Amino acid sequence: MTEAAPANQVLLRCQNVSVRRGEREVVRDVSLALRTGELVGLLGPNGAGKSTLLDALGGAVVPAQGRIERDGRVAIALQSPDLARRTVLANVTLALAWWGVPRPQRADRALQALATMGAEHLAPRAARTLSGGERRRVHIARALAVRPDILLLDEPFAGLDAETRATLLQDAASALRSRARATLVVVHDRAEAWALADRLLILIAGELVAEGPPRELLEHPPSQLVARFLGFDGMLTDAGETLLTRPPHVILDPAGPLRARVTRAVALEDGARLELELEHGRLYTVAPLPAPRPGDTVRVRVQGGVRFPLAAPESVLASI
Amino acid sequence: MQLLWDELRDAVPLIVHGNPYLLSVVWFTIQVAVIATVLAAAIGVPIALVIGLGRFPGRRMLQVFANASLALPPVVVGFFLFLLFVPQGPLGALHLTVTRKAVFIAQTVLALPYIVALTAAAIQGLPPGLLAQARLLGAGRRQLCTLALREARIGVLAAVIAALGTTLSEVGAIVLVGDNVYGYDQTLASATLYEANAAHYADAVAIAIVLIGLILVLMGGVSLLQQQDGGIRLRFRSAT
Repeated sequence: MTEAAPANQVLLRCQNVSVRRGEREVVRDVSLALRTGELVGLLGPNGAGKSTLLDALGGAVVPAQGRIERDGRVAIALQSPDLARRTVLANVTLALAWWGVPRPQRADRALQALATMGAEHLAPRAARTLSGGERRRVHIARALAVRPDILLLDEPFAGLDAETRATLLQDAASALRSRARATLVVVHDRAEAWALADRLLILIAGELVAEGPPRELLEHPPSQLVARFLGFDGMLTDAGETLLTRPPHVILDPAGPLRARVTRAVALEDGARLELELEHGRLYTVAPLPAPRPGDTVRVRVQGGVRFPLAAPESVLASI
Repeated sequence: MQLLWDELRDAVPLIVHGNPYLLSVVWFTIQVAVIATVLAAAIGVPIALVIGLGRFPGRRMLQVFANASLALPPVVVGFFLFLLFVPQGPLGALHLTVTRKAVFIAQTVLALPYIVALTAAAIQGLPPGLLAQARLLGAGRRQLCTLALREARIGVLAAVIAALGTTLSEVGAIVLVGDNVYGYDQTLASATLYEANAAHYADAVAIAIVLIGLILVLMGGVSLLQQQDGGIRLRFRSAT
């Protein structure tokens, strides 16, 4: 594909793909599609097979089963932002040389990509002198510079401190969005997924268990497995139903209908995260200071959460 | 102690007055060291790249073999080369015994393991993401090799230093294949042995001093290049 593809055109489609690493099937029967203009987040716990799926989508690994169709060139940015012992600009132009961009175009394109990532000022610096956050910026800029039709990024914000990550995330959120490209970003952290993605794919134990816009998935997780992974850590069981809650759903209220005992309190910056034991389950909430202490009895009400039939096996829940 | 002092005192005029024999041995030593190291690099670097970058079964075995060959006694190497070169040997038709060519070949063979093992190790020591990322961004085989050598340049130059060191100082193999013929196929190291065996201690000391000086100059020069700004700036053009 040489020119910008029309909006919503499928650039990458994989059907029933399974990938093996040695004897182990790491990705199982995954089907998905990436379209032009989309920024898709691939979210999953450690060892879910996210990087393996990314490798397979990019053609770095051959699937044991299934079909992957790509319409255009794919660039993968690996998790580790290793750069050559050259200047930042030379690193990006080198990537353009690998990609096959004619020499006269390289410097301009490299500087443009660096500017997109807010890293233009780093161009003359030696790569070895960069901080972790700067290296990540250059690493992403290098992938953007080649202007692939499909861009796959493996945990581009891994290993950064919270402040650096927040700033980089802010810049990357707009830099990674392109109408001419389909972008898939593997993320480990839910906050990154909310900040970046138009659409989320959730991979657990090698299987694609949910797909949809982040807000929709959070409000209506399709299964208990997905809900627990998305942070629904509280659970009440009653009358043939399981109610799963996130901390904002659980409110301390002296007039609340439920009686609970505080079993654990973890201090936070502006309050405490409380573990509450109730007659039919356990809930978690965040309370402002002064927060109740372990052993205290409190009244709570639940506002929101998601309900599932009681049949969900505990062993599955425990695995996430 | 007096003997050493006397021999040192007698050796100085031999060095200072530019003894023609000594000069010819110095020149041949430099030729052997440089040519054997260059040949070993020309043969060894591609092998090291295959070991360092290749993804094929048996790659580890090759690395083990390369590492093990570092410990080969020069005399053993020289003896096998001698058996190859003698008129009855497989390469007898080439008439290499007691020739300068045999000395060049022996030193190249001895330098080769240093180039292969140390260069391959330097390439394998590169951050794995660097080469993998280059592959994923479309780098071809030539571009990968260029990147690997450039990034591993400190290790590659360490390999060259080690190879150069062995070509300057090794004696056993070249004496076996070249017979240490006076003024013909002698290097400074083999000439030292020759003069010492003949009890010409002042000559042996003079040659040894020159050898040490040459080692310091050549090795020091390459080491300086290696240390310059974290490694010599090798000029590789980016392959397009």
